[in-house]
Amino acid sequence: MRQPSVIARRVAAASVSLVVAAGAAACGPKDSGAKGSGGDSTPHKGGTLTVLNSEPQTDFDPARLYTSGGGNVPSLVFRTLTTRNRAAGAAGAKVVPDLATDTGRPNKDATVWTYTLKKGLKYEDGTPITSADIKYGIERSFAPELSGGAPYLRDWLVGAAGYQGPYKDKKGLAAIETPDERTIVFHLDKPEGEFPFLATQTQFAPVPKAKDTGTKYEEHPVSSGPYEVVKNENDGEHVLLRRNPNWSAATDDQRKAYPDTIDVRSGLDSSVINQRLSASQGADAAAVTTDTNLGPAELAKVTGDKELAARVGTGHFGYTNYIAFNPTVKPFDNPKVREAIAYAVDRSSVVNAAGGSALAEPATTFLPNQKSFGYTPYDPFPAGASGNAAKAEKLLAQAGYKNGLTVTLTHSNAKDFATSPEIATALQDALKKAGITVRLQGLEDNDYRDTVHSVKTEPGFFLAGWGADWPSGGPFLAPIFDGRQIVKDGANFNASRLDDKSVNDEIDSINKLTDLDAAAKRWGALDKKIGGKALVVPLFHPVYKRLVGKDVRNIVISDWTGVLDISQVAVK
Amino acid sequence: MTESPLAVEAAGTGIPVPAAPGARRFWRRLRAQRAALVAAAVVALLVLVALAAPLLTALEGQDPTTYHPSLIDSARGGVPVGPLGGVGAEHWLGVEPQTGRDLFARLVYGARVSLGVALAATVIQVVIGVVVGVAAALGSQWVDQLLSRLTDIIVAMPLMIMSLALLAVVPANFPRPVLVTLVIGLIAWGSIAKIVRAQTLSMKGLDYVSAARLSGWGTWRIARRELLPGLAAPVITYAALLVPMNISVEAALSFLGVGVKPPTPSWGQMLTSADVWYQAAPQYLLLPAGALFVTVLALTVLGDGVRTALDPRAASRLRVGTGREDRNAREDAGTKEATA
Amino acid sequence: MSGFGGFLLRRAVGTVITLLAISVIVYVVFYVTPGDVAQITCGPRCSPEQVRQVAAQLHLGDPLYVRYWHFLQGLFAGQDFSTGTSVEHCAAPCLGQSYQTGQQVLDIILGKLPVSLSLVLGAMVLWLALGVGTGVLSAWRRGRVSERVLTAITLAGTATPVFVIGLVLMIVVCGELQLLPFPQYVAFTDDPEQWAWNLLLPWLSLALIEAATFARLTRAAMLETLAEDHVRTFRAYGVGERAIVGRHALRGAFAPVIALNANNVGSAVGGAVLTETLFGLPGIGQELVHAVKVVDLPVVVGMVLVIAFFVVLANAVADVLYAVADRRVVLA
Repeated sequence: MRQPSVIARRVAAASVSLVVAAGAAACGPKDSGAKGSGGDSTPHKGGTLTVLNSEPQTDFDPARLYTSGGGNVPSLVFRTLTTRNRAAGAAGAKVVPDLATDTGRPNKDATVWTYTLKKGLKYEDGTPITSADIKYGIERSFAPELSGGAPYLRDWLVGAAGYQGPYKDKKGLAAIETPDERTIVFHLDKPEGEFPFLATQTQFAPVPKAKDTGTKYEEHPVSSGPYEVVKNENDGEHVLLRRNPNWSAATDDQRKAYPDTIDVRSGLDSSVINQRLSASQGADAAAVTTDTNLGPAELAKVTGDKELAARVGTGHFGYTNYIAFNPTVKPFDNPKVREAIAYAVDRSSVVNAAGGSALAEPATTFLPNQKSFGYTPYDPFPAGASGNAAKAEKLLAQAGYKNGLTVTLTHSNAKDFATSPEIATALQDALKKAGITVRLQGLEDNDYRDTVHSVKTEPGFFLAGWGADWPSGGPFLAPIFDGRQIVKDGANFNASRLDDKSVNDEIDSINKLTDLDAAAKRWGALDKKIGGKALVVPLFHPVYKRLVGKDVRNIVISDWTGVLDISQVAVK
Repeated sequence: MTESPLAVEAAGTGIPVPAAPGARRFWRRLRAQRAALVAAAVVALLVLVALAAPLLTALEGQDPTTYHPSLIDSARGGVPVGPLGGVGAEHWLGVEPQTGRDLFARLVYGARVSLGVALAATVIQVVIGVVVGVAAALGSQWVDQLLSRLTDIIVAMPLMIMSLALLAVVPANFPRPVLVTLVIGLIAWGSIAKIVRAQTLSMKGLDYVSAARLSGWGTWRIARRELLPGLAAPVITYAALLVPMNISVEAALSFLGVGVKPPTPSWGQMLTSADVWYQAAPQYLLLPAGALFVTVLALTVLGDGVRTALDPRAASRLRVGTGREDRNAREDAGTKEATA
Repeated sequence: MSGFGGFLLRRAVGTVITLLAISVIVYVVFYVTPGDVAQITCGPRCSPEQVRQVAAQLHLGDPLYVRYWHFLQGLFAGQDFSTGTSVEHCAAPCLGQSYQTGQQVLDIILGKLPVSLSLVLGAMVLWLALGVGTGVLSAWRRGRVSERVLTAITLAGTATPVFVIGLVLMIVVCGELQLLPFPQYVAFTDDPEQWAWNLLLPWLSLALIEAATFARLTRAAMLETLAEDHVRTFRAYGVGERAIVGRHALRGAFAPVIALNANNVGSAVGGAVLTETLFGLPGIGQELVHAVKVVDLPVVVGMVLVIAFFVVLANAVADVLYAVADRRVVLA
């Protein structure tokens, strides 16, 4: 119950950022005289920042990491062609250049993307970073030994679908050209205006071929970022990072890298992390977490304590928790039944089950409520705060279920407050009022994933969640609603099996746009159009509330990641 | 997962175990112990509460699954509104954080699951343990070897881990409390089998058993008439310890996410979700913890009482069987091959 | 009966058979456990083609008996495996490599073993001290209020799940009173003092669960000894009560306590899984729970075998100690 699911976390842990008034200066009465103006003075350089996390950094190979925007801790070691803008709020949802001089130069139809590396880029050992190293880094992410990353490279690069990486196939990927040491060109199968977003992922980090040790590379990946790996113990349970002397701030305007050392401790229970941050003893005073929310119980305590409340950072990561229908299963083939459920849903009790109004915002749109996604408010089946049972009963009667209806809701047994039993039982209670009897089918997490993501076993009615690989409508809507992304013999995410030509065409047409603002508007309109079909019932968008130690300064939380960006943090 | 075998090991000390007393004598001795009587009353009350859960909650006018969103403060994580977690005439023990479900109803319904699972699992453990233990002690050397190795395997396997795997294998529509019961019962019988085997071996060498054998009684008849009564004391003592351990295992399985499933309440599940609320809503944690403590205390005292009543002289002679000393007992008695 | 050597040999053979049987059981159980290993390893968004490549890489398509045979080969003859860029040899006893990370299972275990051993051994010392101490006191003060209180406290330990005790202890001792640091594992070889200081709470949480049983056992064994004829004789001769309790009665409790202790090692491992998870100690238990979740069979098998080995070892040690303590016992 205390942590987001592994997958949600994998994506979420990825990145970072908005400046919350880190008002640590508004300290408690005890030490009021001692401190001056806390927050805004020039951040202090040096010291050790401790990171307390639940999930160990099991993967520390840039090929294996599945991140949104390059990750939080990984981004300290791996620089990529582009990166997320390290700014607070909506500004932080933009792509900016990192190793490259710009965010990429597309050809006319956005099928060829060209990047030029900045001058003077070096690895931790002082050797220069070349475009061939970036090509090699991408190629090795295709090796089955190093699987784990996002699917886009395989889907987008010309002739990449069957490629097995440089260990088995020495020829390499023809879709990536490196005409000289500073230039790299990508050839894509189809227009992809959002390629600059993809280039923020760690697969775009340079890997020197001579230093590649295959599956052992993650023990000491060669750093291109402000920190190098000193220790990586116990499978990522303890990672110690130290300033990389060969990194130059002149080539990197995004990472501030104030602390000299960063000590990442993971495998901790989430309630322990929050207790430690709240107590802020010793090294914990300069500690943060990148993957652990305040739980509801802790929130109850924190809101009553001014000093603690001032140390909470709030952020939004693009994520939606929803009910998924499979219209090939009766009675969910009947739109009236799906609409009845949409009307009967009690979002306030679902929000409570997810941790209360401070940790979850009720959702009526599938796209997250942020501008970069193209958020367009709509509510096709207005249920109010706590459900419209009368309207639902009426629809059920029209559908031929005058005497009520019994359905089975499938959910995971993972304790994640998202697809977990708590949410399911809250829905069960709400639907009872509309005469719908809900039987719960709780599956162990692996079983749940296998079951709901296979077209052969997918149940008719289940809890699901979807997070953004980058803050845009494309990766949010396409895997869920693009008919050509229905996967018959593998992991399928288009649960409703929607295969609507007008939707598919609109997706293709938006993907051609390189003007991301214009694209966002059209994603929003597409979301609204699909929303009317009652294929999903959006439930809530999670809110991230995270505590920091009392000596932590310069907290930047962007809408891209929803959590503070480690590369910006300073310790007193 | 806690298995701590206590057994009466008579052979090592050479003290004979008496045959079981008659039923009447047993009751007389039990009644003589005030603490045991109080404990028995408490256990009876707990069972009664569990059985009468629907009645009691009807009396209160609540049920364990209905949400009361108006009784919790959503902005503060869903902490119950009002003093003592919302205690009042409507909700006798207050409401659950985040949902507002009635805690009294959840506690009494939880007793059904927790006591039911723990007691049923104990019965399974005792039955398997006694059968395997007696068969190993009375069977041929091959049977003994086979069963003893099997017991070793069961004891050496990490129960918690195997439960995690086993609970994932069984289809989700299998009734969960039954499944949890079966898993606990079928995995954690190793210690009791060891104790029973040890005790049986020690009794086998005793005069009255040898006499029975000499007079031509069959193995089964000896087991039933002469051995089982002698096994009652150690088995009951150990069973009284197994019940609370099984409740703890049920709680631990919930902690690891494979226990009884919502919305069915169980004490273990309540403890699991309540521990983080220790500061914000202490009664939420204290209620199931208190209930569990009273249960364990009552069962332990009752177990001691029953033991004393069964075998007053050996009442303090709690010993441990590791399966080692008993073999000597066998050898001492010179019966090593006798049963082969 | 043929002496200590024969005993050791029989024990060793029995242990190997037990461990192999356990490995078979684990293989079978996890073979039927749901969870598509290749998909989990590959990531949620892997294409079917890529999942097939990973499955081939991990030999997941082989039938169960072939995979088990490979496991046995690795165990007794060692194994070669590829890191992608080179081929490395994993010498016998090779427990294979993790599906998830490609690390050698033995390396993973060796990295985590010191943590789990520190936890269980330290807790053992504490539960013996607490349990036997309480038992002695309560035998001595039998029937008085102080005995009842002690009994109730130890029973409260048994009745409360370790994760509740641990969390509440941590909140109170580390958070509110700030008497101890929040536990964070420090290697004994790095700093013995910090090692003990940091492990104190985990030890206590685990020990409280087990102490009650020892207290009951010690008390019972002592009362029995105190009732024996020779003790009555001592009393008649005017030997002090303190000396009787210390010298004679306690000795009577020694053997059963050792035997019980061996049996409790197994249960303590279960408690250690929860304790490590709660306190964030990077031990075998925590890793094992994770490995089960991601169906990382080689890691699960390896770790279960190591745990089982220690349980069997503890029982063997107890038998030897038992024989030393009680001359009547012969090692068979």
